[in-house]
Amino acid sequence: MAQAEGTAVAAGASWPRRRRLSRDRILRGSVPYVLILPVVAAIGAILGYPLYSLVRLSLQHYGLFELIRHQGQWVGLDNFASVLRDPVFWHTLIRTVVFTAVNVALTIGLGTLIALLLTRVSAWARVLLTGGLVLVWATPVVVAVQIWYWMTNYQNGVLNFVLTRLRIGDFFQHDWYATTFSQLGLTTTLVVWGALPFVAISVYASLSQVPHELVEAAEIDGARPWRIFMDVTLPILRPILRIVTSLSSIWDFGVFTQPFLLITQSHIHPGNYLMGIYLFEEGYVKTDFGRGAAISLLMLLMVAAMSVFYVRKMVRMGDGE
Amino acid sequence: MRSRVFVAAIAAVALGVVAATASAGQQRAQANKLTVWLQVDAQSGWPEIVAAANTQFQQDHPGWSVDVQYQNWTDHLQKFDATLAGGNSPDVIEMGNTEMTKYMAAGAFAPLDKTTFDNSAKWLAGLAKSGNYGGKTYGVPYYAGSRVATYRTDLFAKAGIKKLPTSLAELTTAAKKLMATGNGKGFSPVYVGGEDWYVAMAFVYDYGGTIARTQGGRWYGALDSPRAIKGLTAYKNFFLAASRASKTNDGTKPNPYDVYAQGSAAVIVGPSWYSCCVGAKYKTTTAQFVLPSHIKGQSMPGFLGGSDLAVPVTSANKSLGADWIKDFTSTSSEKALRAKGNIPNTTALLGSSINERAAARSWFVPTAKHWVDVENGNILKNMLGQILTGKLTVKQAASSASDNITSVLNGA
Repeated sequence: MAQAEGTAVAAGASWPRRRRLSRDRILRGSVPYVLILPVVAAIGAILGYPLYSLVRLSLQHYGLFELIRHQGQWVGLDNFASVLRDPVFWHTLIRTVVFTAVNVALTIGLGTLIALLLTRVSAWARVLLTGGLVLVWATPVVVAVQIWYWMTNYQNGVLNFVLTRLRIGDFFQHDWYATTFSQLGLTTTLVVWGALPFVAISVYASLSQVPHELVEAAEIDGARPWRIFMDVTLPILRPILRIVTSLSSIWDFGVFTQPFLLITQSHIHPGNYLMGIYLFEEGYVKTDFGRGAAISLLMLLMVAAMSVFYVRKMVRMGDGE
Repeated sequence: MRSRVFVAAIAAVALGVVAATASAGQQRAQANKLTVWLQVDAQSGWPEIVAAANTQFQQDHPGWSVDVQYQNWTDHLQKFDATLAGGNSPDVIEMGNTEMTKYMAAGAFAPLDKTTFDNSAKWLAGLAKSGNYGGKTYGVPYYAGSRVATYRTDLFAKAGIKKLPTSLAELTTAAKKLMATGNGKGFSPVYVGGEDWYVAMAFVYDYGGTIARTQGGRWYGALDSPRAIKGLTAYKNFFLAASRASKTNDGTKPNPYDVYAQGSAAVIVGPSWYSCCVGAKYKTTTAQFVLPSHIKGQSMPGFLGGSDLAVPVTSANKSLGADWIKDFTSTSSEKALRAKGNIPNTTALLGSSINERAAARSWFVPTAKHWVDVENGNILKNMLGQILTGKLTVKQAASSASDNITSVLNGA
């Protein structure tokens, strides 16, 4: 095209007409870029700039002294080196991966079971169940934490009372916050409970796409329910399950509010850190914001790696439609 | 959806940082309003003394109002850090005496002219020291408090305890007697949260131990010394004999006085103002004594807690902030604080209240710049939990905590 234009200019004869055309073409060519400009500007402002600040902060020593003067000290990659050399970081990472795996497995498993249940129950029971799920979804995390705390209270929590009454054992003054396992176990119940509605309702919506004829045909062929689920239902659910699994993984990996508020500041120590809490303790509590920024960038990389899987799925599904 | 997830993931991590890096540009002094951050202790214990100081301040500065915002000990420093970065910092802030050093060293407070405050020549030495850095005064002593035992006289009578225990052994015997009188399954003769390190460290200091010592400019954790281990062992034995509180409770949730008010404790240990909140039912049968040492006749050293008032360097009304502190720490104000069971900020007002007697033998945390990180890192609480639940032996838990303290205090 450039060549054609060059020829036209050289020829000179039809210059005015050509120029108008090319201005036209430039205008037309730039329309998509103009249209995308607001989006780029918005993303740049709410994503790019903070990210730039974060990277800059991670390369500085930025403590209380620097905070007051609004002036950091450049230290290159020292923060990253110190984090990666910190055994607490690696222990926390392993703990968080295990925690995430358990939480995601429970969320997806129980969510799918509830979704299957929803397809089988009568209309009024379905309304009741869905209503319950929506209420869970609507409960603010902070409120839920407080309720959990009351239920598991050492002195007079209802959980200890019920477990003792059911003769499951003597749970009088059982301390649910005594061990890391128990602390993270309680956190798991809270996180899974809060995430169930999203998974259950998504999977239920997807279940309605399973054709009745297929299920019926399989039943006539003598397939048992488990077979039908594995061979008929699951393949149709697979795309949505992939998506909710990757989303849950991303959420649970960076979970902060639930463990922080439930375990409480006075019980948090390196032995029960999750990544989000590690970041908070190193960055905010120890007022070492540069190091905190380095940790958050490392977390960001890990979450981004997980997102790649999710995004690829989304793109592929979009292509298929 | 996709971009939303990305935005959510990244924004979540980055948001805090934005807050941390944002310039103080938006800080604009609120018209004629002085912002004061006090701890909730004042809100529950002596709101009328705060109100009196505000009235005095407004008389001297017509047209000005005082906005007192009450804070919690657990997160007030993080909130303060955010204001240092982003603006809207208070004009006066209450700081725990163990928290001062780190902030003074970082230059967070404006220097104050000591001579303009009431009784400044006779300030309590320990408290005055906590507000002094490099020879300058940054913190004005507000009040101090030692820790005493608040107890039920009726239960002591019922258990046949005729005179108050004068040694740790006698206290343990008394606890066993109280336990035997049968007050329900969850009843604690001496209610102490397992991880209440203020109480536990009193045992360490009573046996001649210390949390950390300094030598040649370096700090060394000292909880693994034979004396400290003796103290920790004594604490463990005492706790197991006397308290049915959670082994991992640090004495804040629930508040010991609430347990007491519910009738589940005969003795609670804490600041003497705990007597404020023992409940109407036990008001007339409540008295206090000083915890006895393992050596008969002596008192156990109590933690000498206290607060300072400081003016943040980012305040737009520094001299007015200092004026408010003058009103709040005036002789009349300190007299009122003393009447509430606190130790006033000056020796000029000292009498012989139970609290003041308890303070005669006291201990204080290591005066290291990074001490507050030991506190916030829950190193001591975690150690106590390990000891009491039997996860580690006293020696193992103490030596691991000690190593931790060494590395934190030296700023590693």
